[in-house]
Amino acid sequence: MASMALKSFTGLRQSPQEQQHPHFIAQALPRQQKFRVSAAKTSPKLTNRNLRVAVIGGGPAGGAAAETLAQNGVETFLIERKLDNCKPCGGAIPLCMVGEFDLPLDIIDRKVTKMKMISPSNVAVDIGQTLKPHEYIGMVRREVLDAYLRERAEKNGASVINGLFMKMDLPRNFEQPYVLYYTEYDGTKGGVGEKRTLEVDAVIGADGANSRVAKSINAGDYDYAIAFQERVKIPDEKMVYYENLAEMYVGDDVSPDFYGWVFPKCDHVAVGTGTVTHKGDIKKFQLATRNRAKDKILGGKIIRVEAHPIPEHPRPRRLSGRVALVGDAAGYVTKCSGEGIYFAAKSGRMCAEAIIEGSENGTRMIDEGDLRKYLEKWDKTYWPTYKVLDVLQKVFYRSNPAREAFVEMCADEYVQKMTFDSYLYKRVVPGNPLEDLKLAVNTIGSLVRANALRREMDKLTI
Amino acid sequence: MSTSIDLLSFSPPPSSMLSRTQFSFTHKPTFLLSSKKESFFTLRASAADNGAGVSAPAVTVEEPKVREASEGPTESNGAVEAPEVKAVNKFEDPKWVNGTWDLKQFQKNGQTDWDAVIDAEARRRKWLENNPESSSNDDPVIFDTSIVPWWAWIKRFHLPEAELLNGRAAMIGFFMAYLVDSLTGVGLVDQMSNFFCKTLLFVAVVGVLLIRKNEDIETLKKLLEETTFYDKQWQATWQDETTSGTKKE
Repeated sequence: MASMALKSFTGLRQSPQEQQHPHFIAQALPRQQKFRVSAAKTSPKLTNRNLRVAVIGGGPAGGAAAETLAQNGVETFLIERKLDNCKPCGGAIPLCMVGEFDLPLDIIDRKVTKMKMISPSNVAVDIGQTLKPHEYIGMVRREVLDAYLRERAEKNGASVINGLFMKMDLPRNFEQPYVLYYTEYDGTKGGVGEKRTLEVDAVIGADGANSRVAKSINAGDYDYAIAFQERVKIPDEKMVYYENLAEMYVGDDVSPDFYGWVFPKCDHVAVGTGTVTHKGDIKKFQLATRNRAKDKILGGKIIRVEAHPIPEHPRPRRLSGRVALVGDAAGYVTKCSGEGIYFAAKSGRMCAEAIIEGSENGTRMIDEGDLRKYLEKWDKTYWPTYKVLDVLQKVFYRSNPAREAFVEMCADEYVQKMTFDSYLYKRVVPGNPLEDLKLAVNTIGSLVRANALRREMDKLTI
Repeated sequence: MSTSIDLLSFSPPPSSMLSRTQFSFTHKPTFLLSSKKESFFTLRASAADNGAGVSAPAVTVEEPKVREASEGPTESNGAVEAPEVKAVNKFEDPKWVNGTWDLKQFQKNGQTDWDAVIDAEARRRKWLENNPESSSNDDPVIFDTSIVPWWAWIKRFHLPEAELLNGRAAMIGFFMAYLVDSLTGVGLVDQMSNFFCKTLLFVAVVGVLLIRKNEDIETLKKLLEETTFYDKQWQATWQDETTSGTKKE
């Protein structure tokens, strides 16, 4: 049925949606159901058609996955509920993403080359003097980036469906397909949408923190942080300051376990903060963030308020059968910096590559073993990054003295160089052992001083 | 020597971080999707975000203004807009000049009285904690605690404790040397060239530094738990894999 509305991809057989599925009534999730795990080479060759994969969610993860799949002969369906969705998001992408995903420079609104880190006692440290002339942190608007990636996937042959994914029926045996239920919108505003179904061989869940795919495969929950952000249009003369500068505020007033930020956007700034532990107080933190940046955003008009959950760690199960999770749905957001766009796009691509390899460019059926390869590769590549940032967050965001020490540490040029290298290029360059030792001593010194002061502060009563 | 302990036992027990291990706050993320947006998220943004397929972005832009107009005055929401509301919210002290402590005013007998500087800075930070101050580029804070020489910190914070720690370390060391000697017959001098004994010595010293009070044991335990907490989340997939991996054979 759905196929009638889909743009068919020439050369590929349209999927047999005509049949009805009266007896596939979703019951208690067949969690224990396991597929025969076998090497892909022995799995059956598909006759008359190529492998069909549905990608749920058209963000960076979904877009990247769909593009890679479609490029390599897999019949790809990308289901996105809102094509002009602008997700509340900091929108920072590292330099290497531009190259790796071949992004055009005009989707980058701003090139941030300076960061200001501001401690609880308002010591401001400039980060970014170590950047080379061509290096920057790109700021994008998500609606632009997402649309671009989706369009590219479409150009490569993926069918983009504007629809809201509702649920899916899991197959009872290896031969049966997954049946997705979704509501398709035809683009007219206020349209109710039409209920449709789609049969596919595999599903990539890229539908973000509230993932319905994750729910339908019983992937389990994760702890999440709430990020709150206000887009503030500030007067032009104030905007000059934020031309290519982002600010990060740390302190108990701003967030007990994260940071508050002022990020430049295309023609306004985004002021926000996030927290895991004190979600109920987020408004207070937001107020404090605004207060800390007061003079700089004075006279600004709030044009938009947004909030979004941010995963804190991966879901317990990121894979079940021929369904894999990528991006936020899987929980790939780093701690400490809260970065997720690059990791989402990367995980989408990695998952797609695993499917292509397993299916030999869409000619064979895949199984869970093929998708596990994606997880294995992902964890091997990025687990250290997540771990390091997790430890950093735990050490330095836990109390005001630790934050003071953190800011003092960031003033160090060596730290800045290492941070930016690993952020911009997503690779860890082994440092200079002597410098590392110096850094360790200095950091411990800073921590000790700040904590000594804290003990003194506790004695005081004002 | 006291450095390492400070790193590990951040003075105020970080209740926020530790309590995270319990899923006390974890209502499912999907709650945000559900229709009951009771909490503080009466935001149009999240509504628009959840809105399926189509929604009018124009509404999103308008709404917050309304909110601001209605709530602004009560909630001091106008922090962005109304500069005159809090004008004096700034730390002031005659010795605090141009964003740093004026060391000339801390002279005592021709020398800087670092203790007084530490006191003053502690007072300032305490004050700031209760009255967070807006950062400003015109009036930057340039005071850095590292200008206070190391011996001033040692003198102030380590020496009062040093006697206790040294005494404790000496007693434990002596007792352990005695114990090892009586059990193995290796004399004190020979123990020094023995790897096992050196390790024991190291453990004793670190132990003395880390465990100063009984509560420290609890703190350390919690720290360990906390550092490995998310590992379990990552491992979940892998463990799952090994179980199914055995199944497949």
